[in-house]
Amino acid sequence: MKQMYPKNGRVILHVDMNSFYASVEMAFDPTLKGKPLAIAGNPEERRGIIVTCSYEARSFGVKTTMPLWEAKKLCPQLIIMKPNFERYRAASMGMFDILHEYSSLVEPVSIDEGYVDITDSYEFGSPIEIAETIQKQIFQQLDLPCSIGVAPNKFLAKMASDMKKPMGITVLRKRDVPHILWPMQVEEMHGVGRKTGEKLRYLNIATIGELAKADEIVLKAALGINGPRLKQKANGQDLRKVDPESASEFKSVGNSTTLPRDVSNQRELLQVFEKLALQVSSRLKRKKVMAVSLGITIRYKDRRTITRSRKLKNPIQQDEEIYKMAKELFIKHWNGNAVRLLGITGTDLVEPEQAVKQLDLFSFEKDAKKEPLFQTMDLLRKKYGAKIIDNAGALSEMKLTRPKIGTDTSFNKDFLHSRPGRGNKKEKDDIS
Amino acid sequence: MKFIIQRDRLVQSVQDVMKAVTSRTTIPILTGIKIVASEEGVTLTGSDSDISIESFIPKEEDGDEIVEIKQAGAIVLQAKFFSEIVKKLPTDSVEISVENHLQTVIRSGKSEFNLNGLDAEEYPHLPQVEEENVFKIPTDLLKAMVRQTVFAVSTSETRPILTGVNWKVENGTLTCIATDSHRLALRKAQIETNASESYNVVIPGKSLSELSKILDDNNDLIDIVITENQVLFKAEHLLFFSRLLEGNYPDTSRLIPSDSKTDVVVNTKEFLQAIDRASLLAKEGRNNVVKLSTIDGGVIEISSNTPEIGKVVEEVQSKSVEGEELKISFSAKFMMDALKALEGSEITISFTGAMRPFIIKPLNDESILQLILPVRTY
Repeated sequence: MKQMYPKNGRVILHVDMNSFYASVEMAFDPTLKGKPLAIAGNPEERRGIIVTCSYEARSFGVKTTMPLWEAKKLCPQLIIMKPNFERYRAASMGMFDILHEYSSLVEPVSIDEGYVDITDSYEFGSPIEIAETIQKQIFQQLDLPCSIGVAPNKFLAKMASDMKKPMGITVLRKRDVPHILWPMQVEEMHGVGRKTGEKLRYLNIATIGELAKADEIVLKAALGINGPRLKQKANGQDLRKVDPESASEFKSVGNSTTLPRDVSNQRELLQVFEKLALQVSSRLKRKKVMAVSLGITIRYKDRRTITRSRKLKNPIQQDEEIYKMAKELFIKHWNGNAVRLLGITGTDLVEPEQAVKQLDLFSFEKDAKKEPLFQTMDLLRKKYGAKIIDNAGALSEMKLTRPKIGTDTSFNKDFLHSRPGRGNKKEKDDIS
Repeated sequence: MKFIIQRDRLVQSVQDVMKAVTSRTTIPILTGIKIVASEEGVTLTGSDSDISIESFIPKEEDGDEIVEIKQAGAIVLQAKFFSEIVKKLPTDSVEISVENHLQTVIRSGKSEFNLNGLDAEEYPHLPQVEEENVFKIPTDLLKAMVRQTVFAVSTSETRPILTGVNWKVENGTLTCIATDSHRLALRKAQIETNASESYNVVIPGKSLSELSKILDDNNDLIDIVITENQVLFKAEHLLFFSRLLEGNYPDTSRLIPSDSKTDVVVNTKEFLQAIDRASLLAKEGRNNVVKLSTIDGGVIEISSNTPEIGKVVEEVQSKSVEGEELKISFSAKFMMDALKALEGSEITISFTGAMRPFIIKPLNDESILQLILPVRTY
C-alpha cells in the first residue's frame, strides 16, 4: 500500500462536517431530516442570524449569517432552532475520536473541522480508501455527513474539502492546481476574506491564477507578510504541519457580543463589559489560566473596529479585575460614538502555578483576609490530592448546568481541551 | 565678557550643571547653559525648570588663580555643544569671550570655536528662596539617606506623588520615606536644626538622584532650605534647587507592622548571594519571584522554579529563627535592592504572615528599615 503514498512529502486530509449544527439536530431528531432547518442565535433580537442551515433550507436561498426575518421570507416553513452546544460538542468529540483511529496527527481547527496527517497510515489502505472509510464511519456511527479533501498539504486539503458537498471526497494534487484552482476567483481561496479580496482586486488580481503569478514585492506592499504567503498557497505550496497541539496552545481567551442596537450610553456599554468580563473570567478559570495582557475591541456603528490592549503588572482572572481593566481601556480609547460590538480578550496566558500577584502596600489587607482560606485549601490538597478542592469557577464546563451561550455568535474551542486522554495532563494527584 | 579659566574646573562645573539640562524642554533657552562672569568668578547655571543647578567657580582658591576675569558679562551657550567642546579642548586653559553681539569665541591652544550664543537676559531667573529656615546635614549622610531610599520610588505616573521621596522633619529628626506601593524604604537621622521647625514635603526622586551624583563624598555640612514649593541644597560653590511634588504623601506609618510572627536573623552577604543565585532562574517579567521557607534547625530554604527553565534550591544557615513556621514568596529584585541599601553585616527579617508586608533591618539599628510586600502565588 505504501506505493500509493508519495516518497517525499505528506498526505493530508481535511475533514469538514457538512452543515454541522443542523446535521447534529437531524441525527438527534430524525423527523427533521429532509426539512429546511436553520440554527440561529437569539430569535427575538437583531443578532438572530442564521448560524447554519440544512441543505434543504439552502435550496430556498437561505444562507449562513442571514438575518432571521430575511430567511423566513425566503422560506416560510423554515424550522428554526436555538443552538444546543452540548450536543454539538459531544458529536464533535465523537468525530475527532474517529479521526484519531487513523492517525495520531489530528489537528482540530474548530468544532466541525480538522486536519489529519495520514502519511504514515498506509496500513489502513490508500489515502482515498482511508478518506472513504472515515466518511463512512462518521456517517454510520454518528449519522453525520462530511466532506473530505485529500492533498499534499493543509491548504490544498482545505480547498479540496470545499469542492464537493455534502459527502464529497476530493483529491487535489499539486499538478491539479493550474487547471482547478487557478480559474477560481480569489475570494474563493481559503485565507482571502472580503478585505483581502478588495485589496487584490485593486491590484487587478481577480483569480487565484493571477495571484499565483503576481509580483511578490507588490503583494508584500499591499498585504504585508501575508501577501507572499498567499502567493505560495495560490501555487499550491503550504509548509504548515498538522499540529495536534495547536488547539491546546490557546493563546488568548476572548468574548465579544453584538449589541441588540447601537449604543452610545456609557453606562449601558459598561454594563456590557461587566457581562463580558464575567464570561472571560469564567472561561479563564475553566482553563485554569490567567491573563497577563488584556485587550478590548470596540466596533462602531460605521463598522470601524479598534482593539486596544495593555500588559498588566499582575496576571488576572477575576471578573472584577478584568472589568476594571476593560473599563479603564474603554474610557481611555472610546471616542463617544455609537457602538455596535464590544469584546474583551485576555492574552499572554500563564498557568496559575506560574502566575503571581505582587501585593500592594495600600491594599494587601484584601488578599491577606483570604489567607486562612488558601491555607486550608493547601492543606486539603496536600492531604487528599490536588483535585480535592478548587474554586467554584474552576468547575469544568461539562459539569455546569447548561451554560448560557447563544448571545455569542461564535463558538470557542474550549471543549477541545477536555478531550479524555488529552489536555489536563499537567494535573497530577499529589499523594504524598 | 571675557575670561580665561582652568579647563578642568570648567569641565567639572559644566558636567554638574548639565545634570539639570535636558533636550526635551518647552522653553528653548533652557537647552543652554548660562555663563556669568563677575569680579568674584564665573557662575554656570543649568535648568529644566524642575531642577536648577548653579555652580560657582571662584576667581582664586587657596592662593591659586583659577579664573582671570578680563571683562564681566553673561551669555547662554548651547549645552550639548559647549559641554562636548570643553571636554575635548587641547590645553589646560580656556579663553571664552563674547565678541560682536552674541558671537562667542572659545580658544584653547591652537583650537578656536565660534559659537552662536543666546542673550542671557532671556534666561529665566532661579527661584527666590528665603533662607530663614535652614537645617544642616553632612554631605556623606545626605548621600547615604538618598541612596537608601530613592531606589524605592515609583516609576509609574499612575500615582505621581509616589515618584518622590517623603521628607519629614520633626523634633530634630529627618525621616525619608519612599515607596512604589510594593516596597518601602525608610531612613531616619538626627539633624542640626532649630528644634521648633517641622516640615513634611515630597522631593522628586529624580532630583535627589541627580543631587547625589553631583555632591562630593565628604562630611562638609550642606544647608537645606525648604519652602512651600521648592527645596534648595547649598554646598560650597553649588546651589541645587528642586521643585517639590504637590499633594499629600500617604501616611505610611500605620502600614508598617510593629509586631511580628516570625523573626529571622541572617548574615547579610550570605543571604544576598543566595537570593541572587536563586533569582538566576526566576524569570524576568514574571516578577522575578523566589520562595523562602523556614525549615528545622534554623535553616532557611530559598528556592525558585520556572518550569520552562529549571529550578534551584538552596539553604542558608540563619543565626536564629524565632516564631511560627513560614513559607513566603517575594520578588528577588526587591529583596536585593533592599539588602544592598542596608548597612551592617547581620540583618533581622520580621514576618507577619505570608500575605503581609515584612521588614528588614540591620541588627540593633533602628535608623533604617526596608519593607517588602510579598507576592501571592495561586
